[in-house]
Amino acid sequence: MAKVLEGPGMGLMKKWGIHVPQYAVVTSADELSKLGHVNDWMKQSQLVAKAHEALGSRFKLGLVKVGLDLTGAVAATKDMIGRQVGSIMVSQVIVSEMIAHKEEYYCAVKSTREGSEILVANCGGIEVESNWDRVKRLCLDVGQAPSHEALEKLAKEAGFTGALVKKMADFAGKMFSCFDSEDAQYLEVNPVVTRASDGELVALDAVTLLDGDAKFRHPDWNFAFAAEFGRAYSKQEEEVMAVDSKIKGSVKFIEIPGGDTAMLPAGGGASVYYSDAVVARGGKLANYAEYSGDPPDWAVEVLTEKVCSLPGIKNIIVGGAIANFTDVVKTFGGIINGFRKAKAEGKLKGVKIWVRRGGPREKEGLDAMRALKDEGFDINVFDRNTPLTDIVDKALQK
Amino acid sequence: MSILANKDTRVVIQGGAAGVNAARRMAEFCYLIKRPLNVEAFVYPPDAGKSNEVPYGSGLIAIPVYKTIAEATKNHPTINTSLVYIGADRAMKGGMEALDDTHIKVVTMITEGVPEKDAKILGAHARKLGKVFNGPSSIGIVSAGSCRLGVIGGAFDNLVLSKLYREGSFGVITKSGGLSNEIIWICSQFADGITTAIGIGGDAYPGTDYVSYLEMFENDPQTKAVVIVGEMGGDLEERAAEWYGAKKRRVKLMAVVSGFCQESLPKGMKFGHAGAKEGLKGEGSARSKSDALKKSGAIVPATFGALGPAIKEAYQDMLKSGQVKEPVEPASLPKLPKSIEAAMKADEVMVTPLIRTTISDDRGDEPCYDGYPASELINKGYEIPHVVGLLWDKRLISKQEAEIIKRIMMLSADHGPCVSGALGTIIAACAGIGLSQSVAAGLIMIGPRFGGAVTDAGRFFKHAVDNKMTVDEFLTYMKKNHGPVPGIGHRVKSLRNPDKRVKELVGYVKSLPIKTPCLDFALQVEQVTAAKKDNLILNVDGTMAAVLVDIGFPVDSLNGFFILSRTIGLIGHWVDQKRQGSRLIRLFDYLVNYAAPKRREVPPLK
Repeated sequence: MAKVLEGPGMGLMKKWGIHVPQYAVVTSADELSKLGHVNDWMKQSQLVAKAHEALGSRFKLGLVKVGLDLTGAVAATKDMIGRQVGSIMVSQVIVSEMIAHKEEYYCAVKSTREGSEILVANCGGIEVESNWDRVKRLCLDVGQAPSHEALEKLAKEAGFTGALVKKMADFAGKMFSCFDSEDAQYLEVNPVVTRASDGELVALDAVTLLDGDAKFRHPDWNFAFAAEFGRAYSKQEEEVMAVDSKIKGSVKFIEIPGGDTAMLPAGGGASVYYSDAVVARGGKLANYAEYSGDPPDWAVEVLTEKVCSLPGIKNIIVGGAIANFTDVVKTFGGIINGFRKAKAEGKLKGVKIWVRRGGPREKEGLDAMRALKDEGFDINVFDRNTPLTDIVDKALQK
Repeated sequence: MSILANKDTRVVIQGGAAGVNAARRMAEFCYLIKRPLNVEAFVYPPDAGKSNEVPYGSGLIAIPVYKTIAEATKNHPTINTSLVYIGADRAMKGGMEALDDTHIKVVTMITEGVPEKDAKILGAHARKLGKVFNGPSSIGIVSAGSCRLGVIGGAFDNLVLSKLYREGSFGVITKSGGLSNEIIWICSQFADGITTAIGIGGDAYPGTDYVSYLEMFENDPQTKAVVIVGEMGGDLEERAAEWYGAKKRRVKLMAVVSGFCQESLPKGMKFGHAGAKEGLKGEGSARSKSDALKKSGAIVPATFGALGPAIKEAYQDMLKSGQVKEPVEPASLPKLPKSIEAAMKADEVMVTPLIRTTISDDRGDEPCYDGYPASELINKGYEIPHVVGLLWDKRLISKQEAEIIKRIMMLSADHGPCVSGALGTIIAACAGIGLSQSVAAGLIMIGPRFGGAVTDAGRFFKHAVDNKMTVDEFLTYMKKNHGPVPGIGHRVKSLRNPDKRVKELVGYVKSLPIKTPCLDFALQVEQVTAAKKDNLILNVDGTMAAVLVDIGFPVDSLNGFFILSRTIGLIGHWVDQKRQGSRLIRLFDYLVNYAAPKRREVPPLK
């Protein structure tokens, strides 16, 4: 899943005929001032300014300002740009027109195993969060588009009446078109409001999750995907991602500050079992990592260097199941090079290394790891006869 | 018995190099279970019409490559299964092509990074047609003793260790490829092994879910228990639990789920598999899955490590109740033929080498000349003449000897455009011929009349010195047995017009404190021959030859010094012509003496 910020998210909705407020994403107060000269709506409407970053609780952080005139919006932008919140620095502000409205509604489309479902409620904002039973759904098989009748029925079920039935059905239909055509995995508009000026339904906010794997058929996706876990990626993480995007197979790395057990396991599946084992034994993970799909040794070496550089680590878990086609000698070669480099840089002092692995050329690979003992590494090596996560038990034994 | 893949499975592989690699692994399995290769064809448009070679035992099997599935199944109507090994952007088209072919009943896709929508469309299309679409991101399917689809099961040794050559009693369904292998191994160590193991792939919406496969296992009498390795994200494990709890099932369900660590990690974190992610509101957590499975009556060990003992316990129960019998192991198993390299490493074969070398070896990280690493020679101040000494005479020559060789090379590097060698290269260069061929054209000229007299001159001077001949004896010997003395005589140079190169070289060598019996002898010969005829002087070939013999180079290597030196000049002439953009040349008529008969009438053919 790939999260998209509000600006590009609203851009996609607009493309599919959904009314959105006038908006602009700016990177400086100056830029907004200049835009104000050429865009009448900025001078005529009341404005909202929001930090355009993947941050939760922007209201609480003072990163949403409402009811502004252009001067106020420029000031708010000036104030927000450059603010540091945790690991994220605000570099963009989205300024949009305020839409005068009374009622708020809710509409979303989400991916399901069978296809998708359209969700509609005739309440919105925080009201819908506490009244989830008022959300009505229309389930669709993949390849199936909703009929107008079905959408009207859904709107009626959700409690819409009169002219709003057709309007909401129409709005939900466009949401579905956007979802289906843009390879979205989740689209949510909360709230949907009736614009007082012309009675049209307008999307005031957009949560957009796209399928990153479908990027190849959307050349107009010219925006960057946002980090999905409330913080920016670190330099180390970005470096590993850059390697990952270049190679056959994969390497993944996410830092978890404050932990003391470093992870360097193989396999998308096994790596999670290793992480579970650490948590189950009361250990504190210093990172999540995995390499798989027979990646080149240099990529595993880069990953190893990052793992060895984690601060305050006591153990490194070099785990892995019995590989199908990942060459143990080659990938371990990358790990060994990374270890040597780290040791030469004065890292790994007092760090215990735990190895368990099987797969093509397992004996040679494990022998090479064992030989590190002679170079002064504190390393313990086990083969397939030791159950998968037992090295975690041994490492975390008090 | 088994599910999905069995003895009758005949396969087409869609894809290029990765598909060929899978076929190799599949051939290893077929060889282990002593059955013919189950791969009938490849579909890969860029290579259509060619064939891929797949090793089977110690031989090679050629498998044809087609442009379309339809062509493949038309030529191989027994094909009933397709393995998809093509890129994510074309995977859906390939998968649909396979599903739409009436011969094909099972399609399994290894491709990773397939858009979710595409996977759903493929899954729905397969269900509509009553076929199976497995994957994407599937490591494959293996039925012990009968069929392997993809690389699942790993290397040959692992197939044997995991007893995949014969059936057991456990079915396996996993999202993870690596863990499928781990569970197969565990089932073989703690119990009697597997029936069929299926990798369904780690995507959010696998084409076929646990429930469909559980139904199949339920209907396979050989399978007594099914092990599921699940992970957080989606609701497939919950659906499996629902299926298991719905009514009394013949198979025993055992399961582990990963992702408990998510409880103490940042929300929204991405793990290795695309589908391994809790929903926006925490749906699909490891805990909810594990709880649902426990509630349904499945055996859910607390950790992955506890799975082995749990499987053992279940197996012991089956043995006690008579549900299964201890398996009979085959008396012997085929051994995968080793590569020559591996067998030699294990001291199992001896090979008579095809060639033998005594001068160099580049199998390490750099070439070694007669044992000395090139970089060390450089760092310790050795130069090109020393490398010549090592490779031509297998010895480290002295500084003085190196200086002599350097001077010889400098003096013979070129001799203008008119000599045979340079002219040959220039004509070739003007005809648009490439560097190596043009230089070769020049080198071809080196022989008895041009530059190639060094070896012979050295040989005869040495013969005379070794046999303590006088100059007269030598000249008589030469006249009687061989003819003119090589190294003596020059086309244009003479006593009055001496060759400065000879003077230079002789002067230098004579200034050194070394013995030069051959050179001295050659100079004595010159005195006699030049007295007879002005141009019968010691030429540069003869001088070089005498000096090189004096410093100990073997006679057979001597021409090499001229070839090596002159190559520098020939390359220069080729580059020079190229740089000038020289045009094709031909001889002017006036440079030819036309001595052929005058034009005349051709008589009638008899």
